[in-house]
Amino acid sequence: MNFVKRYLLPRLIIYFLVIFIGITTVFIIPRLLPTDPVLQTITRLRAQGAYMDPESTQRTIETLQELFGLKGSLSDQYVKFWQRLFKGDFGPSFFQFPTPVMTLIKQSLPWTAALLLTTTLVSWLLGNILGGFAGYFSSRRWGKILDYFAMVIRPMPYYILALGLLILFAYVFPIFPLGGGYTIGMRLTWSWNTFLTLLRHAFLPALSLLLIGIFVWFQAMKLVVQSVKTDDFVKYAEIGGIKSNKIARKYVIKNAMLPQITGLALSLGQIFSGALITEMVFSYPGLGTLLYNSIFTGDYNLLMGITAISILVVTTSILVIDLLYPLFDPRVRYK
Amino acid sequence: MKKLLTVLLFFSLGLIVFAELTVPRNETLIVNQLTGRVGTPGNFNLWVGWKWSDRGLQNLLLEPLWCVEYATGEIINALAAEPPIYNKDFTQLTIKLRKGVYWSDGVPFTADDVVYMIELSKNTAGFAYNSQMQEVKEVKKIDDYTVQIELVKPNSRFHTYFLDRWGGFRPLPKHVFEKVSDPLTFEFNPPVGTGPYVLHSYDTGGYWTVWQRRDDWQRTPTGILYGMPQPKYVAVMTYGGPDKQVLAMAQHQLDAADLTMEALRAVLMRVSTTRAWRKDYPWTVNIDPCVTGVTLNNMVEPYNNKDVRWALALAIDIVEYAGNAFDGAVTISPIHIPLTKSYMDTYFTRIEDWLKNFEIDIGDGQKFKPYDPNAGQRLAEYAKKRGYPVPKDPNEIKYIFGPGWWKYAPDVAEKLLIKNGFKRDPRTRGWLLPNGEPWKITVYCTNTNPAHPAYRNAFAVAQEWRKFGIDVDVVVFDTPTVVQQGNYEVSSDWPAAEPWGGHPDLYRVLDPFNSAYMVAIGENAAWGNYSRWTNPKMDKIIESLRLTDWNDTENIVKLGLEGLKLLIEEMPTIPTFNYPGVVAWDEYYWTNYPGAENMYSQPYHHWPNLKYMLPFLKPTGRK
Repeated sequence: MNFVKRYLLPRLIIYFLVIFIGITTVFIIPRLLPTDPVLQTITRLRAQGAYMDPESTQRTIETLQELFGLKGSLSDQYVKFWQRLFKGDFGPSFFQFPTPVMTLIKQSLPWTAALLLTTTLVSWLLGNILGGFAGYFSSRRWGKILDYFAMVIRPMPYYILALGLLILFAYVFPIFPLGGGYTIGMRLTWSWNTFLTLLRHAFLPALSLLLIGIFVWFQAMKLVVQSVKTDDFVKYAEIGGIKSNKIARKYVIKNAMLPQITGLALSLGQIFSGALITEMVFSYPGLGTLLYNSIFTGDYNLLMGITAISILVVTTSILVIDLLYPLFDPRVRYK
Repeated sequence: MKKLLTVLLFFSLGLIVFAELTVPRNETLIVNQLTGRVGTPGNFNLWVGWKWSDRGLQNLLLEPLWCVEYATGEIINALAAEPPIYNKDFTQLTIKLRKGVYWSDGVPFTADDVVYMIELSKNTAGFAYNSQMQEVKEVKKIDDYTVQIELVKPNSRFHTYFLDRWGGFRPLPKHVFEKVSDPLTFEFNPPVGTGPYVLHSYDTGGYWTVWQRRDDWQRTPTGILYGMPQPKYVAVMTYGGPDKQVLAMAQHQLDAADLTMEALRAVLMRVSTTRAWRKDYPWTVNIDPCVTGVTLNNMVEPYNNKDVRWALALAIDIVEYAGNAFDGAVTISPIHIPLTKSYMDTYFTRIEDWLKNFEIDIGDGQKFKPYDPNAGQRLAEYAKKRGYPVPKDPNEIKYIFGPGWWKYAPDVAEKLLIKNGFKRDPRTRGWLLPNGEPWKITVYCTNTNPAHPAYRNAFAVAQEWRKFGIDVDVVVFDTPTVVQQGNYEVSSDWPAAEPWGGHPDLYRVLDPFNSAYMVAIGENAAWGNYSRWTNPKMDKIIESLRLTDWNDTENIVKLGLEGLKLLIEEMPTIPTFNYPGVVAWDEYYWTNYPGAENMYSQPYHHWPNLKYMLPFLKPTGRK
């Protein structure tokens, strides 16, 4: 009961408050943009060759405002927004009218989830393991080599790294394709061939994310480990004659993992914003370009849909990690 | 290291066998998708919302009633058998349809389809051309191949809604749509068309769509008019930016690309089988039916003053300007339409003498002839000095670099400004407004792509006016609404609406200047008149054009010339050069693309006319 009152309840209140404030902000901010989705749509219609005299334009503006649900006061729109949200409906995309926002997200999400979930977890795992040991055994040669790699790759602009990989492995040595999620003209089926094709197309985008991701975690972990290893309990363990491998694993890395776990929760939540540059460089499908286009075209509903999901996932991940924290850190349990 | 490289090379050569295409490459034309990744890959209903029509919908699957061909200046009768027929007061339009055309599922295309699409659009809010079709009082089928439309009010240009000009209201299959409960949410998958290709496959991630030639291509307007499209397959692929397209071209994985000048130079240097619209410098497409330049807000001081507008035009050295913007690879235009070959012949040759004699009043009873007939020649000289090959024939130079432009006359510009109370700051020599404050101009550019002419025009004009003594800034952003609502002074938006491109009628250019459409700042100006300029004389020209039949070329041109002269006299906006399109083709698998030396078709693969170009391509036989 004490756990619920002192630990769970305050966190749940904060959880719902953050979601409420976040989603309300997501509702308001796009409406402050100078981009008008109706005019953007009309511009697109003109780009499709539609010649409209001003009378037709005015009629179209009114029709689109009606269809987009942009008529009525801001408070009416806000209430309707929450009503729809509780049903898991973000309404139609303005730019890709009348396709529902959820349909668009569902189309792109599997690509993003598969790519980013894998690369986030793998880079977190490898980066922390390597960083942990390199931090503890900082005088070893392999640790220094890893450090040099990190110093070269970590500050490299991601775009340059990605483009470099693409030029090297898709142009100079054309081992991997220049872009796309799978081969042009191919129809996706449940087969080994499809799986291999998907894997081959995902390889370079994944490699670029892994390289950056691993060394980001590596450097962060190494710094934390170097700080932890000077703590008194580590000194005592060393004096006590415990083997250095065991000290690294059980004493140092375990303690240094705590901030990294919070970092992982945040990274997992950010998956839902997609990886825009990766998608652009490798012409890879995903939520990044969807989000970018929604901002660019003033597609409020789509923008709200993606960011609201992102808010939900980030806050939920943090809540879950927060609730699991006592399992990792006994000090939290004892409080 | 050597061993590693050898292994990698060997491995990669082995993998090349797995071509990035499941259809035979030598039977496939691969083109870049200009509009980028498709957001709704499974939805082919382009009559509702934005549907990335250049993914093959407009350029391969569907045929319009009429289509603009700006390379030749003609209008192609596609599904229509002949030009539109209006009654005397333009309240009735008769459309004769082409016989022998079939939808790709074998159903004949008839008047029922056209009647149905108009009624469906009129009665369905949110459907394409819904607002325009409110002008229809009644639409009826006279016989299987004749449609008659009664209009609510006279409109001599009503048929232009059906004219494909990178879009238009294209016929849809009645037999498919009439079975659908909600035409707005209907995905039209698989799509059925009257064009020569049908859907083969598409990427659920939205990056590519593959089309296959119809077995019965003879029963399509393309087949009837031009013969069999040569590629059996066409793949429309979003490779991404120009850098990616260059890489794809270097591997012969892309046949037609949309590039920047820098990327074009790279691909021409690196890939021996590639070519541009023009085989030599300036390479760029100069028949695009858009004119670029600078737009001035005529509702804001001091741009509401004609003398100021002219002073700003005369403060531009067009040769230096074109050099800064596109290294001189443009066709300059002093008038408010692009000088494509057809507009050069139809309009420029008829206005040239008037331009030479045209005078402006610069005060103190002095007159000045602002037209410089040698500007095109000067631009060619600039190119020559830069080491580019330039033809010697003045007529050829005129078609490549443009005929003439406005004189670079900063002294005259100064007189015009002083006449209107402007002064130079004695200390800085910068210009002061009549109220004594420093003259500061912010040029708004609503296109963030540095390769875009709007971007290049913005920086080029800023450079010229700074040199003249005005404090100029450029602001680049993605929100055209700001300019459309008049909250600006100068922008690099198009100086006038684009003409049809394939017809002498300038109604599309002139009508936006109609005073009936004028609104206050803060409201949306008519597209094509973000300069918010009107003139009673222009109203009369527009009114006369409305009463002139589309087929009455002589009077259409006469009125068009009057409109252009008025725009020059008033200079509400400053046209600079034709839109310089940058395309590259790889002739590794296909050849005989249209080019400046062989202008049988417009050059863009994203335009609806791609299907009319394909019968002329020739396979090279390479595997």
